[in-house]
Amino acid sequence: MEYPLQYHHTNEMLLSEQHIIEAAKQDPENFGPLYDKYYKQIFGYVYQRLNCKDTAFDLTAQVFLKALTNIPKYEYQGVPFGSWLYRIAHNELMVLLKKNSKLRTVSADISDLRNICEEVQEEYMEQYKNVLMNVIKDLPEHELQLIELRFFEKRAFKEIAEILNLTETNAKVKLYRILERVKKTLTKKLR
Amino acid sequence: MGTKFNIDRKPVPDEEINSHKDFGELVKKFKKQSIEKAKSDASFLKNKKATYSTIIAGVAVICTVTYFSVFKKQPPKESAHEKIVTSQKQSASTPNTKLNKAFIAPPVSKLNVPYTSYHLKAEEGATLKHKSNSKISIPKKAFVNKQGEAIIGDVEIKYREFHNQADIIASGIPMTYDSAGVRTTLESAGMIDIRGYQNGEPVYINPKKQITVEFQSEHTADKYNMYVLDTVAKNWVYVGRDNSLKGLERHQGEKGLKGQKPAENSVVGKVESPKTVELQKQLEAIPPKIENEKVVYTKKVNQLPKASVPNKPAKAVTGRPQFELDVNYKEFPELEAFKNAVFEVGTENKNFSSKLAEITWSSVDISEGTVKGKNYLLTLKLREQVEKLIVYPVLTGANYDQALKLYETKFSDYKSIIAKREAEQKKLKEEFEAKQAAFIAEQKAITKQMIEEKMRWLKEQEGILNKQFQSIDNEEKVKRIFMVSSFGISNSDCPTSMPQGESMSPIFTVNNNGTFIKAEHIYLVCHSKNVVYNFYNPTISYNPKDTYSLCVLSNGKLYLCDKIQLGICFTNKQNKIPLIELNTDVNDAYEFKKALGI
Repeated sequence: MEYPLQYHHTNEMLLSEQHIIEAAKQDPENFGPLYDKYYKQIFGYVYQRLNCKDTAFDLTAQVFLKALTNIPKYEYQGVPFGSWLYRIAHNELMVLLKKNSKLRTVSADISDLRNICEEVQEEYMEQYKNVLMNVIKDLPEHELQLIELRFFEKRAFKEIAEILNLTETNAKVKLYRILERVKKTLTKKLR
Repeated sequence: MGTKFNIDRKPVPDEEINSHKDFGELVKKFKKQSIEKAKSDASFLKNKKATYSTIIAGVAVICTVTYFSVFKKQPPKESAHEKIVTSQKQSASTPNTKLNKAFIAPPVSKLNVPYTSYHLKAEEGATLKHKSNSKISIPKKAFVNKQGEAIIGDVEIKYREFHNQADIIASGIPMTYDSAGVRTTLESAGMIDIRGYQNGEPVYINPKKQITVEFQSEHTADKYNMYVLDTVAKNWVYVGRDNSLKGLERHQGEKGLKGQKPAENSVVGKVESPKTVELQKQLEAIPPKIENEKVVYTKKVNQLPKASVPNKPAKAVTGRPQFELDVNYKEFPELEAFKNAVFEVGTENKNFSSKLAEITWSSVDISEGTVKGKNYLLTLKLREQVEKLIVYPVLTGANYDQALKLYETKFSDYKSIIAKREAEQKKLKEEFEAKQAAFIAEQKAITKQMIEEKMRWLKEQEGILNKQFQSIDNEEKVKRIFMVSSFGISNSDCPTSMPQGESMSPIFTVNNNGTFIKAEHIYLVCHSKNVVYNFYNPTISYNPKDTYSLCVLSNGKLYLCDKIQLGICFTNKQNKIPLIELNTDVNDAYEFKKALGI
C-alpha cells in the first residue's frame, strides 16, 4: 500500500531501537522517537482495515497510549518494536470490531486481486472480481488477516511471522492452505 | 460479517497523517491516565475500609510523590503576560520547556552575557568605547521619557554584544525567524542589546535622534540584513540590508579576509581535505568488494560436485497385483536399479479391478508418477477405454538382492560425494567470512582515520583563518553599523534553512551511558557558520558534510557533546549520544564558548 513499510532492521538499528525502548521505560517522554517512527505505519495498518478515517486516527492514538502504558512490560525478542505495536493494533481492532463489525473494511488494489489469482493459478478476468472479493470477505478473520498482510500490504513472510507471532514456515504453510481453499471455492463458484 | 471491500481506495496524504500526530497529547493522556489510576486505586481502598483513611491519605501522597518523581516535575505555568527576562532576573533553577518559558530565556543564568554599564550626561551626549572596540555614539539630547519630554542629567546605558554560538545559546535570545510563515534560523554576523535608564526608570530614544553603534564583527561576508527583535510579536522585524561594512571593501568580504583572493591551488575554504576525499573513495570501494566476494563464494559453491540420492529398490508385496513391463532404461535411468522389475499396483488406485488384468491392452505407456522416482503412471489403452494406474517398481528374490547390492554401492558413493561437498563448502565459507571480516575491519579503520582527518583539517583551517584575521590591525576589522532608533536587541543576520541531508532521533545518556536524560531543548551548534539550530522534537536533522557540536538543556542543566564525539555518532548513524554535564567551573559565556570548542 502507500504507507511506508520501514520494518526490517539491521542488527545495529535493532540495537539502537532497544536503547530508545530502555530510555522510554525510564521516562515516557523518551517514547517520542518510537512514536515518530511507527505512527504512520500503525495508522496505515489500522486504516487498511477500517471504513472510517476518524476512527482509524482515534484507534491509532489508542494503540500508542496502550503501548506507552505497557512499555515497562515489553521484552525485547530480537524483532523490531513495530511487531509489538502491530499486535496491540490488531487486538484493539478486534475489540472495536466486536462492538461494531460494520466498520470492518478490506482494502486492496486491483493488482492485488490479480496477484491472488496468479497465486492460485487462475487467470484473472474482470468478471472474477466480485466472486473473488466475496470469497475473501467470507474468510474467517485470522485467515483474512494473512491474506491482507501478504497480498494487500505486500509484507515479507518474515515480517508477517513476527507480527502474528508465528514461525516463517508456519506463516507460509498457513497462507498456502488458505489459498488452496480460496482456489477450491473460486472454482466451485465459477462453474 | 458486514465487511466492505474497498478497491483502489485513495491513500490518506502524509500531511493529514502528520497533522494527527501529537506526541505531547499522548504523554498528557498517559499522565492523566496514571493519575486517574492512582486515584481509583486509592478510592477502592477507601471504600473497602473507612478505618484505613489515614493510611490511604499516606498512599495518596506517596502516589503523587512517585508520579512526580517518575515523570519529572513540570514547572509551574507562568502568567499569560510574559516578560523579557535578562540574566539578572532569571533564576538558575527554573527549568525551561518549549511551551512554558519566557520569550528570551537564558538556559543557565550564570552563563548569560552580562551588560556593561556606562554613564553620561544626556544633554551632552558621548562616544563610548566598549571592551570589544565597538564604538557607541550617542548624540546630544538623545533621550526622552515616556511622555516624550527631553531628558537631562545622568543616564545609564546598559550594553552587551553577542558574537558567537556560545553567546547566542547563553543569552537565550530566540534566533528563529518567521517570514510570512516560512521559518528559518538566523545566522549571525553580530548582535547587540542596548538599553537606557534614568534613576532605574527606562528612557527612550528621541525620535529625531539615532544612536550609532560601530560593532566590531568577525564575520566579513556581505550577505547580512538588519533586524530588530519585537518581543511583543515574538519575532524579528526586518529593517533592511546591512550595507554598513567598514574597514573592508564590500566585494572583498566574499573573496576572503583582507580582500586577498585565495590562490587557485589554495585549500583554505574547501569543505573536505584531499586526504578525506581519498579516504571517502576507499570507503566507498569496500561494499562492492564484499559484494564481489559474495558472488565468487556463491559461484564456487554452485560449482561443487552435486549428487542425487539413489532410489532404494522395493521388495514385492505378496498378493498385490503386478504388471510386467519392458522398460526403456535410457528413458527412465533411475529404473536401472530395477532391472527385471515388475510394477506393483498401488493401493491408492481405487479404479483397479482384477478385470483389468484380463484385458489385452493395445497401448501401454509409463510416465512419471505422483512422487518422482518412487512411482509411475501406467496408462493402459484399448480403443476408447483408457485406464490410469499408479504403479511401484518392485523386485523379487535374487533380483531384489542384486538390486539392493547395487543400491548400497551407489548410496555409499553418494554419501562420500556429499561429505566431500560439505567439507569443501565449509572451507569456502570460512574463507569468505575471513575476507568479509577483513573488509569490515578495513572499513572501520578508514572511518576512524577519516574522522581524525576531518578534525585535523578543521583545526588547520581554523588556525589559518585565525592567523589571517589576527594579522589585520584591530582597527581594520570589519565594522558593522547599527543605527539604533529604539532600545532593545538588534542584529546583523541572514536567514538560513534547517540543515539537510540526514536525520536521526537521538537519545541522550550521561555518566558513561548509565543514565538517560530527557532533552527539553537541543542546540545543534554549526562550526562552519555562526548559527545554532534549535530542536524541540525528538528528531534532529544535519548535513553530514558539516561539523557540529551539540548542547542539550535538561532539567535546568546543560550537557555537551563535542564535535569529535558527535562526528563519530553522525558518521556511524548512532543515535545514542553520550553527553557530559557542563563543568561547574564554567561560569560565563567566554568559558562556555571554550567548552563548546568554538
